[in-house]
Amino acid sequence: MQADQNPTPEKQEAGGVARLLSYLVILAASVGLFFDARALPTSRWDVLGAGAFPQLVFATLGVLALVAIADALRKLPPGAFAGFGAAAVPWLRARYLVVALLALFGLYLAILPRAGFSWTTLGFLLAAQLLLAPRRPRVIAVLLILALLFSFGLNALFAEAFNVFLPRGRWWT
Amino acid sequence: MIDQFLLGAEQIFTVSTLLFMLLGSIAGIVAAAIPGFTITMAIILTLPLTFAMPPLQGIAVMLSVYVGGYTGGLISAALLGIPGTPSSVATTFDAFPMARAGQPGRALSLGVWASFFGTLISTVVLIVAAPPLALIAVKLGPWEYFSLILFALTIIASLVGASLLRGLMAGAIGLAISTVGPDPMMGRPRFDFGLDMLAPGMPFLVVLIGIFAISQLVSEVEDVRAVRSGTSLATKDIDFQTWAMMREILVRPVNLVRSSIVGVLIGALPGAGGSIANLLAYDQAKRASKTPEKFGTGISEGVVASEAGNSATAGGGLIPLIALGIPGSAVDAILMASLMVHGISVGPRLIMDNADLVYGMFIAMVVASLMMLIVCMVSLRLFLRVTEIPKWAIVPAVIVCCVVGSFALNNRVTDLYLLGFIGLAGYLLKTLDYPLAPLVLGVILGPIAETNLRRALMTDSDWTVFLTRPVSLLLLVAAVASVAWAVWRHRQSRARKSLTDPKESG
Repeated sequence: MQADQNPTPEKQEAGGVARLLSYLVILAASVGLFFDARALPTSRWDVLGAGAFPQLVFATLGVLALVAIADALRKLPPGAFAGFGAAAVPWLRARYLVVALLALFGLYLAILPRAGFSWTTLGFLLAAQLLLAPRRPRVIAVLLILALLFSFGLNALFAEAFNVFLPRGRWWT
Repeated sequence: MIDQFLLGAEQIFTVSTLLFMLLGSIAGIVAAAIPGFTITMAIILTLPLTFAMPPLQGIAVMLSVYVGGYTGGLISAALLGIPGTPSSVATTFDAFPMARAGQPGRALSLGVWASFFGTLISTVVLIVAAPPLALIAVKLGPWEYFSLILFALTIIASLVGASLLRGLMAGAIGLAISTVGPDPMMGRPRFDFGLDMLAPGMPFLVVLIGIFAISQLVSEVEDVRAVRSGTSLATKDIDFQTWAMMREILVRPVNLVRSSIVGVLIGALPGAGGSIANLLAYDQAKRASKTPEKFGTGISEGVVASEAGNSATAGGGLIPLIALGIPGSAVDAILMASLMVHGISVGPRLIMDNADLVYGMFIAMVVASLMMLIVCMVSLRLFLRVTEIPKWAIVPAVIVCCVVGSFALNNRVTDLYLLGFIGLAGYLLKTLDYPLAPLVLGVILGPIAETNLRRALMTDSDWTVFLTRPVSLLLLVAAVASVAWAVWRHRQSRARKSLTDPKESG
């Protein structure tokens, strides 16, 4: 819940709860990974071993997360947790373009190795630009040209000029 | 000596060499402006093209790509808020807000001039101080390196933004990310959980693109109305103020010279490079400023410090290369390889056996920085057209460039999955008000810190050696003083804020 210019107290509290949740996630991850790091072996030549530095890092991160949790609990009023759900849904709804763009990006990355760079990128660009752009005939024409340039054009540029071959796709080979 | 100097100059000032250098400069600027396309990649692609050239011409072309590349990163950093290369992370802190505040031309002009003067200063230092500085750099052992990196890590304390705790946590998350993959000493796998994606570790560039670029691009579409109305990333008000910016930098030379010296010193240290110099120079400028709270809001000192700092590493990196045959960075290693391809042995005898070549390299650095300046001044208006493109067009297109940049680094599809996860994590962290710069600093410095700590203790398991070696002790004291000073400044600024706005006390 990013701080906007003039956040209401309810929004500030919801942001505080969201940050508290992030501290809890970080604490859990750092405790788990600290014990994972302890299991890494040492050797005769390497006094510290592969696990010492990560242990140091995860211990520091865990302590910082604990302090942050204590600080957040001290500052948050008792009713803040109840209002979190009510604030989170409209926050997410207002950012539907972000959610949709991230979903498209995820889908793009998942399909890319299978369908290859050019076709997947063409599909991603058309879908993402149609999602974001105002629906006017001139805009549609521009986004079509852009999608072709940044998919097939970019692929050709990297292959011809830089000898870098972007994924061709398992479906076509 | 004068004969050798003139011989070098004669080889540089030929039409073909100058033409190839101009092309190299343009290529470096354009390549570095693409997020994910590093200077190292641009230099690697240039190397085969120089095989057929005479040695000095080949090196001069590569130096043009090098110098142009350090400036090119500024373009996407200022206009899109995405560091074009790892060396322009700190440039985003002030150049981007300045561009967003309606002064994209000013941000670019300041950056270009700072890069130009930074390169010139570093070349002067290179000519004067190459041998003594290189000797100091090679005398540093792992103890001093670890202490130096610890000192560099204290920059985190001044990059934390609104919350000291979240800033420190972001730095520690960056260090944690750097521990994934094979350990830097023995190559033992760590934290890969049997996933192919994590087995080779998290490439720094993929982390950088995910954290900065994807999170920034995604947050651009938060405001539905602004996106649909065809709003562009910055205003169309273009005013370069070219000469005014040059004067602005020159009338306050302390920041420029200090940042350039930081760049030269960092560049001269093997293993360190533009990415560290960029952040360290910015940090030093902020600490020395009477108004540190204005840093990050689009202040000219921030742009000058970060750009002069990274550009000055170009000259600094050549110091150990020319004097001792030790490359200071990956790019210097490629330059060294290029010399070796031409049958020139690099080492302490280089300046004695091939003085014309070395003087030619010095001249090429100056010419390359001049070319970079000319190319930028002529083409800035073209680059600024980027700001006029509506968000609906530029956001998906730049996302595709990020994907290409991440893939081209290692030709690994798994890096793309990593990019997706890191981009999502970066957006969440940004939304939750975690500063992203300390995280990136942690990722850069983590492996260097771990390697030197373990190397030091492999040499001598006694921890007190860190305190008994004078340079190491000095750096550790500087690190403690740096943290104390940053915490004090942070508390002071919070106290000032709570006085002016009592609601801000939380």
